[in-house]
Formats: sequence, C-alpha cells, structure tokens
Amino acid sequence: MAAPVESVTKHPAERSPFTTTSFQKKTRSKLISIPGTRPSVQNGQLLVSTGVTSLDFLLGGGLAVGTVLLIEEDRYDSYSRMILKYFLAEGVVCRHELFVGAAQDNPDDILQELPSPILDDVAIHKPAEQPQLSREPQDSLDAMKIAWRYQHLPKVQSALASSSRFGHYYDVSKMMEAEIRQAAKCHRFYLPEHPTQSSTTRSPVLESYSALLKSLQEVIHKEGFAVAASMSKSRNILRIGLHSLGSALWGDDLSCHDNPAHCHSLTTFLYGLRALLRSSLAVAVVTVPSYLIQDRALMGSITRLCDNAIALESFKGSERETNPLYKDYHGLLHVRQVPHLNCLASQLPDHKDLAFKLKRKQFTIERLHLPPDLSETVSRVSRGELAGGAAVAAACGSVTSGNKHLDF
Amino acid sequence: MLPEIWQGTDAGGLLVIQDSASYSGRHLLKSFINAALTREEDIHVIGFDVSEDELRNGLKESTTQRLHFHNAFTDPLGWTDHPAFTVRQFNLEEITHLVKQTSHAKAATLVIDSLSWILRHVSPSIVCKTLQQLKKGGAVRTIIGLLHADMHQRGTVGSVCHLATSVITVVPGINGDEAVAKITKRSKSGKVMQDEEIFTIKEDLTIIVQSKSSQTGLKHPHTEEQEADPAANLTFNLRLSDTEREAKEKLALPFVFSKEKKTALLHSGLGSGRILYEPDANDDYDQEDPDDDLDV
Repeated sequence: MAAPVESVTKHPAERSPFTTTSFQKKTRSKLISIPGTRPSVQNGQLLVSTGVTSLDFLLGGGLAVGTVLLIEEDRYDSYSRMILKYFLAEGVVCRHELFVGAAQDNPDDILQELPSPILDDVAIHKPAEQPQLSREPQDSLDAMKIAWRYQHLPKVQSALASSSRFGHYYDVSKMMEAEIRQAAKCHRFYLPEHPTQSSTTRSPVLESYSALLKSLQEVIHKEGFAVAASMSKSRNILRIGLHSLGSALWGDDLSCHDNPAHCHSLTTFLYGLRALLRSSLAVAVVTVPSYLIQDRALMGSITRLCDNAIALESFKGSERETNPLYKDYHGLLHVRQVPHLNCLASQLPDHKDLAFKLKRKQFTIERLHLPPDLSETVSRVSRGELAGGAAVAAACGSVTSGNKHLDF
Repeated sequence: MLPEIWQGTDAGGLLVIQDSASYSGRHLLKSFINAALTREEDIHVIGFDVSEDELRNGLKESTTQRLHFHNAFTDPLGWTDHPAFTVRQFNLEEITHLVKQTSHAKAATLVIDSLSWILRHVSPSIVCKTLQQLKKGGAVRTIIGLLHADMHQRGTVGSVCHLATSVITVVPGINGDEAVAKITKRSKSGKVMQDEEIFTIKEDLTIIVQSKSSQTGLKHPHTEEQEADPAANLTFNLRLSDTEREAKEKLALPFVFSKEKKTALLHSGLGSGRILYEPDANDDYDQEDPDDDLDV
C-alpha cells in the first residue's frame, strides 16, 4: 500500500507550482495521501476537517476517517443544519465525494444552500506575466499608494485550486457558486423517492433505514471507497451527511412516542453504519432531533453507538435568550462523547462550558466566560482590615458588613 | 405577528394551532376561516371534532358557499356502511381528490379540525408524512391544523410542530376573555421569529391584538452584524469634508519615493527571493543507513 515516494533529485521544472522552495523531504512513508486529509498528531489516524475549524479543534484535530459524528439538533434545526452544510461544503472544496440522505428536504435543496468558501490569496508565480508588466507601469503604480511594493504580486486566485490547507472558512451570507458545486460528485438519497412496502417479516431495522444502508453500501463498493479495494486509481474520501434521522418522516416513531415500537431500529442502523464505515474511506455526520426523544436511555445508547457526539442547544425561544450572560452567543454546545480509536483513553476537551456563535464568516465555539463580578460586596480585604476585623468579629457575632471599603 | 397571519399575507405552508383544555383554539381557527372567506378563498374543512352546524355558526352567511365541509364528525372510523370521511382517508391521494372536485381554479386552504383525532388513530409518522406531502404538493396552498397539545405525548406534538411553518400556542390570559398567543414562525431562509401577543376575539370573529408582551425574538444570524459608526456622538469632529479629503490625498508623504524610483525598485524586485538549489551528493543523508556518510 505504498504511495509513490518523491525523490530529492526531481527536476526543478517539474515541481508542483505550490511550493516556493525546491527542498523536498525524502520520505519513505506508507501513508496514503488524499487531498483534504492529514494524519492526527495524537494517534496517527487520518483526519478530515468538519468545515468548522473550532469544531475540528474540539474533536482533537478533525474527524477521523471511518467514524460517525452525531449532532443532536437544536430546537428549530437551524445550527445543526448549518454544521451539516459546512461539512458538505468542505467536501466540495477538498474535492471529496458527497452522499446526502434526507427525508424532509430534497438533498438537491440542501446542496443548493451550501455556503461559499472564502478563498485567500494563493501566491502563484506566473513567469509568463513578466513581459506584460513593463508595458503598463502607470496603472499598476496608481493602484497602491502606500503598499506599492506589493503591487506586482499576483491577485486573489478565484479558481478553486486544490488548496493544501486543512480547514477552510465560509461566508454564510453567500451561496456556493454552481460551477464549484457541480465539480463535486454527489450521491443522493431522498426517502420519498424510495417507496417502501411494509414487509411481513419483522426485521429490527425499518425499511427506510435498510434502504438507506443498502444505498450507502452500493455507493461505497461501486465507487471504490472500501479500504480493501484495489489501489489502481487514486483514493478519495466519501462524506456522508444524513439529515434528521429518527424523525417521524423516516417512518420512525422514536421521536413520537415515549415507548416506541421501533426502539431498536435507529440503533441497529447506526451499528450497521459504523461497521460499514470502519472498512471504508468514508466519514459520516448524522443529525438527530434529540429534543423529541423522550427516552433518555435510548438517547444514551444512540450516543454510545456513534464515535463523536455533540449537542447543540440554541437560546432562541428559551428564557436564556434574555439572560445577559449569554448575550454574545447563540447557544450552548455540549460535547457528549469523544472517540477513543485504537487506544484506551480519549483526549477530553479541557473546558466543559462551551458556547457557539454563528458569525457571517465563521462558526466560533468558545469557552463560556462568566463576566467579572463588579458589585460592591466583592470581598477585597485589605491588610489593615484583617487585623482590626478579626478582633471585631471575635467580639460581636453578627456584624453587618456595612461599608468595609475605604472612602476616598 | 398575529395580524399578518390572520390577514393571510404570508400564506403557504403548515400552520398549527396548539391549544389545551384551558383555552380552546377553535375560536382562533374560526376567525382565520372567516378572514379567509372574506378574502374569497376556497376553504376545505375536514371536521372531526365538531359538527358542521356548530362550525358554520358565527360565520358570515354571504361567504359560506366557498366553505366546503367534509363531514368526518358523524362517522370518523367507518363503523357504518357509508361513511362520509374516515380517518383512513387522510392521505395525499384522497385529499387531493377531494380538493380537486370542488376547487378547480386556485389553490385552496385546507383546515383540519382537529389533527388530534387523526393522531389518535393513525400512527404519527404516517400523519407527518402525509402533512409533508401535502405541504410540498400543489393541491392545497395552506394547511391549518388544530392540535390539542395535552392529548398527546410530547414527542408527538413536537414532531408535528417540527414540520410546521408557523406554530401558534394559545393559553388563557389574565383577564376573562383575553388569551395569550405565542407565535413561532419559520421563514424559507431559515429565520425563526417569535412573538407573544395578547388578543381577544370579538363576536364577529375579528381579532383585536391588545399588546405585545415581552420579547420579539432575535433574527437568525444570517443577517450581518451592524457596525456602530465610531465617529458619531463625539464632541470633536472626526469626519472629513470633500475639500479636506482632496487636500489629504494631495499631500506628499515624507518617505514616499518618486515614481521613477518606485518602478526601478519594483522591476528589480521580481525574483530576488528565490533559492536556487542543486541537490548535492553530500546532501543525500539517509537517516537509516549509518554508513551513508562514510567516504569509502
């Protein structure tokens, strides 16, 4: 499974246009190098970006290939849908293949709404442009008054070259352009297009979920995402986005009844999904409307069956919206589970109180800080008071604090 | 927001009116029906809870020919031989057939009174699927459903409301004939707007909104952040007039080079940062082979 090794003695003219030096490390690594992935610094797993850089940081660098990320939806499904769209948009930018499964909205509609990536200046030296520059010095000199030394550096490259960066930023107010989106290969599964007949045999999985699993299996085997497949062609990652599993539109009554009749269908599906993913180069993001699921034990087992799990709680509609503590944020983020892949212990996040905010160009996840308490009663004991106060406190039991602070 | 929904300015989609035993949402439903009839829309009512006479009571006589009542009150479960409308008939094909029979020209409004009846006899996932199909299909433009929230489990109510474009929850108000409506509206772009209003319904089924209580709901973060102008509200002037701006641009900065010097620097500047490296034999240091650097 060796990837072709780049030797140091490569001819300079053949070197890739993105490197500005001609130094090339002589490696004998046997890792497969797929664009848009990088090995984890903790355990060497191949990681994929989720599209949100702060979420990547929380999950320990990124999503490991072959795992499932569970997102517990917020009440109106706005932010979980946003993260799903970030995930798919990242796939388009990194040239991965996409698979979108949904029951409520047509996958085409979800793909239309992907945010547009913010492409930074990639400085590409184009030697062919040199003779042109001498012909028009006037225009270029007038362009920049103070930073004139940078005038002749090439401008922003708007074509979507395969960028070697790991995480990208997206502008939420703009939609991704059609040509960029159509360059990526997308597979769709829209439940109303797969009419299911009620089977007479009682299987633990619902027909809708088994149809979805079959469709996934077909795509993985046909398109060559299975790890065991031949190495003849270049490998790529399949990004699977499944919207709102467990909701009533999938035919599941998990979110409708307190004691659902199909209580094991979603868990069986997740088990099958994880088994399928472990043997293929694919990543899955699944959103579940957990606020509708009343059975907490069932929600717990669903969380355990996925490798990563986060829950979003948006402030909209709750009494927390007007709470001044939370005014800078749009909601809270709870990390329910971090994976431990091929190791005993997992890397837990340092901070448990996390809040998120969706800005136009970034989805930030920050540690929730309590504002400093600046009231009068904050104890600021000075040395003089300590000596005198101890005597007074010993003498009389209940002393009203009054004004302990010195008045200037 | 209640007046806009009542006047039907933002029609389309599924509107769910959630009520409870303490305050019936049927008055609000009838006022919506009345307003739609005044706007000359075709209304199809599938009535499970109340009989036709009771529903028509109070509506204006002149406009009631546009109201098509499908009687599901007498025999909803099909116990007799010829039921008018049963619970089993609540699916896309039957409803489309019903609606197309009477309204040919424009899209109609479907009123379901009430969804609770259907949810008790048909599995919620099938009801949700039918509602989603009706919402997406072209037969009806708006669907208004009455849901008795205290009759179902929380998950069922939540699942139905999750599909809805707007949800109005009515609870009794402090005074006798007042009620409080909590409205949640989801627009196509993903914005969620919330409102809470106190209203009363008069005899002729018009809604009077007394006041807006508490919050008006934040907009979805898709809107850009507004930046405060830092040059406003100062005791000194930080802004420039046009002549001042021109003079500023004409000013020669101290360390600015002349044009000739700039071009000279620019042209020689190209390509000065490159490192040209020819790999040397000595540099082939292989970490694994200790004898690599032996000069044997």
